[in-house]
Amino acid sequence: MSDNAESPTETQKDEPSTPQQPTEDSGTADDKKKIDVLLKAVGDTPIMKTKKWSVEKGRTVQSLSQFISRFLKMEANEQLFIYVNQSFSPSPDQEVGVLFECFGSDGKLVLHYCKSQAWG
Amino acid sequence: MSSCFLDEETFCQCCQLFLQHSHSLCDGWSWEQVKGSEEGYLRKTALGTGRTRCNQDQQGTSSDQHQERTFSLSFHNDDDDEDDGAVCCIQEENSSSSVVQYEYHILYSCSYQTPVLYFRASTLEGRSLCLEEVWDSVHPNYRQRLQHRPWDTITQQEHPLLGQSFFVLHPCRTEEFMKPVLKAALEEHRQVNYIVTWLSVVGPVVGLDVPLSYCTQVPEPPHTPSSSPQPPSSSPQPPSSSPQPPSSSPQPPSSSPQPPSSSPQPPSSSPQPPSSSPQPPALGTKPG
Repeated sequence: MSDNAESPTETQKDEPSTPQQPTEDSGTADDKKKIDVLLKAVGDTPIMKTKKWSVEKGRTVQSLSQFISRFLKMEANEQLFIYVNQSFSPSPDQEVGVLFECFGSDGKLVLHYCKSQAWG
Repeated sequence: MSSCFLDEETFCQCCQLFLQHSHSLCDGWSWEQVKGSEEGYLRKTALGTGRTRCNQDQQGTSSDQHQERTFSLSFHNDDDDEDDGAVCCIQEENSSSSVVQYEYHILYSCSYQTPVLYFRASTLEGRSLCLEEVWDSVHPNYRQRLQHRPWDTITQQEHPLLGQSFFVLHPCRTEEFMKPVLKAALEEHRQVNYIVTWLSVVGPVVGLDVPLSYCTQVPEPPHTPSSSPQPPSSSPQPPSSSPQPPSSSPQPPSSSPQPPSSSPQPPSSSPQPPSSSPQPPALGTKPG
């Protein structure tokens, strides 16, 4: 599946005909190819207005990270980190579907995200 | 909040637990003890990919600046840049993706009170990569941040124990990405293995991915003689299959007073794996 990081879609105005983008959850997650992801901010990281997204299983962590970074309009000197299980940062090449299998609960995958300058 | 740092003893304990799981996966990590010292470090070699110069003399080193190299230069407006208001992105056009031999060392830094990742990188012919090639080999997910201030991110330094030239990922801001994890763990009375969490963040930058099973299978550092190791797992599995280990490990002593009970944070959603199944192995937090 393509994992293009498209520009974020607005809540409630999402075009459901663009399957490559994370789409806001419309209430059902019966699409076998997508999983529900709940994004939670940590630290001083801005909170996303839309927290729940329906994401294709084959999408990578990097793709999701890019999406969140653009959504938050992050600066070039900032790095976004995503944590699963609030303790582990999955590889950028990891597919979210695999993360869901390992760490999903109540039908969704909770991911925490944090921005920082990280190195220096 | 002072729980973002690691003392050396806990570093060693976390490393040993990390190693146990590595052995079960044949993940290639080993503990190297410095002769005549109690200091040691984790070490692993692995093949990865990187961007190296093509059509170059095999004797080329970082001093080989006279060879013709073509770079593409692009400038971005960076309002936040304190220096010159522009960010320079350098991409070598004569470089190509190739197999690179990496050697990773995880050392403990007394000054930063954190682990530090040192590494070497060389082509299969044995030529060490130069610093620019290493920068160019950083995973695309981190490329933009690196190119913003490469000299603040990866540079070459003398290995503190071996005295040889290694690349190092600067540890100055380790606290920034460890703090949220440790703070959350503390508030929820969970524990994490500092090395597992830290390496999962920094490793992928330089081609070192940490398998998911480390997240669920590596316990916290014990302060009793030994904790029961988890069943080996060669692939990530749903935490529901992990047995519940003894979770009554006491909080390690620290100079910072621990709140008797952290301010309760009723979880709005379950950050843990399936709530109907036993939690994954209790992982140790390291209060500062």
